[in-house]
Amino acid sequence: MNGEEHPVVKLLVDKGLIEPSSERVKPNRRIYTFKPERIREIISTMINNLGHDYFYISTVIGTDFPDKKLIRLDYYIVLLPGEETIVLRTWLPRDNPVIDSILDIYPGVLNAECETYDLLGVVFKGNPALKRGFFVPSDLVEKNIYSLRKDSGV
Amino acid sequence: MTISKIIEVPYALEIPVGPQHPALHEPVLLKAYADGEEVVRVDIYTGYNHRGIEKLTEKNTFYRNIFIVARVCGICNLVHANCYVRALEELLEKYPNDRARYLRVLAMELERVHSHMLINAVMAEIIGFDSLFMNIMRDREYVMKAKEVLTGNRVLSDYLMVGGVRRDVDSVKKDRLLKLIDRVLPRVKYYRRVFMEDDTLLKRMVGVGVVSKTDALRMSLVGPPARASGVKIDVRSSEKYDAYDEIPFNVVTRKEGDVWARMMVRWDEAIESLNMARYALEHLPSDGNPVPDERRLPRRFPPGEAYTRVEAPRGELTYYVMSDGKPKPYRVKIRTPSFINIINTASVYVGYTVADLPVILVSWDPCISCMERVTVIDPRTGEKRKVPVKELAGGGSRRVSQRYSL
Repeated sequence: MNGEEHPVVKLLVDKGLIEPSSERVKPNRRIYTFKPERIREIISTMINNLGHDYFYISTVIGTDFPDKKLIRLDYYIVLLPGEETIVLRTWLPRDNPVIDSILDIYPGVLNAECETYDLLGVVFKGNPALKRGFFVPSDLVEKNIYSLRKDSGV
Repeated sequence: MTISKIIEVPYALEIPVGPQHPALHEPVLLKAYADGEEVVRVDIYTGYNHRGIEKLTEKNTFYRNIFIVARVCGICNLVHANCYVRALEELLEKYPNDRARYLRVLAMELERVHSHMLINAVMAEIIGFDSLFMNIMRDREYVMKAKEVLTGNRVLSDYLMVGGVRRDVDSVKKDRLLKLIDRVLPRVKYYRRVFMEDDTLLKRMVGVGVVSKTDALRMSLVGPPARASGVKIDVRSSEKYDAYDEIPFNVVTRKEGDVWARMMVRWDEAIESLNMARYALEHLPSDGNPVPDERRLPRRFPPGEAYTRVEAPRGELTYYVMSDGKPKPYRVKIRTPSFINIINTASVYVGYTVADLPVILVSWDPCISCMERVTVIDPRTGEKRKVPVKELAGGGSRRVSQRYSL
């Protein structure tokens, strides 16, 4: 985990798709930032270079920052066979959080995209399975409240 | 001859599976569409049990949350608490001593054994082998007893605390635990042989619900379902948290990728876990008190983020905890293994029969009931009525009237 960067990560950095950040998520997980419009390019580069057999997307974590007027989206990716976890981080505007869905190239994010949409209102463009009420009860859906936003009042 | 009635049986029969069943771990609805006996499509509906725990943790203090996250799942409450507590320890940079680390592993491995025994018992029940179900559950009770001796409770134990565990073991408890492990181990080996050799079980499980290695990774499968497809992922061996760097164990993988392989991986892991539990007890270090003084734990958490992973009985469980320096966490994100294994696997059911549906579903780790309906149309009034298959077959509490009978 402390050693060299994974070759595919190096490739992505060289291509300018992601930028290494000096911050770390404890315990020592590297963070890379990227522009939201490039997510499909990043994941397809990973698939083309690694194949489907050598990585998986563990989870997608959305966090609301009302004072910055931003929503942070983290893709936690586990690189096999060493199981190194890296964090791909991006920021979306809070009033219009839209990012391309990667469901068609990587089906394993179905749960994460549906959950992030339902709880935080991040729209994954091109994901046909997005719907409100995937988790939250119907009264919140009727009031159009995204429960994990800080000002939701839940 | 005039047509007096039309019975409209849709091309694809819609079969709601769930959301409630006495043996169900979590309420989930699988809407299956069947063409004859063959399943052509499955939609998964969730949200029956969303308790908003992530929001709840944002409203409670870091320490209270240890007990809240243990309630996420009853069967694997210890691994949830372990994952969250380790995230807090990473934030505080305060780590437990060796004895506490060994005791944590011991408790978690006992939990893995009883969880794997439970789901194998449920599988036997789903297949229709009720006596095997009862036998496994009887022997599982020894493991529950061992957990009670160690942690003070059979199921919800609240055993973990930042910087250690909340109870120590003495030599009397140690002997009792070793005796219980010796009692369970031959039984687990016996059940493994039953799952290896019994014709009825093999006929229902072998070749059903096959997932290839590539599909397992594309669908992000974790835990025993992934390992049964030949993906060698195990957080215990890669992260080496707690005492897993010192306790020897094997990562069990199989190549078959079917339901049977998933159940066999669980039996093999249960045997591994019992051996690990015995090793942990026999090599328990004595480097001080594993129980931290809870009054002296730091009350303030420095700002920062921690992301910890743990190998729950069902696979990789991850916790993300973010602190902004206030008494409550800014964000806690829980990603449970079943969440991936159930929701992302809708495509696996396609092509198998309706009878295989619960078998495949249980092989991920929950289980569910079935109910079937067809629509009967009266051409004179145009009235549509839904009739359960049970009624059409002549059973059930309400008989079908002569007009609608087949």
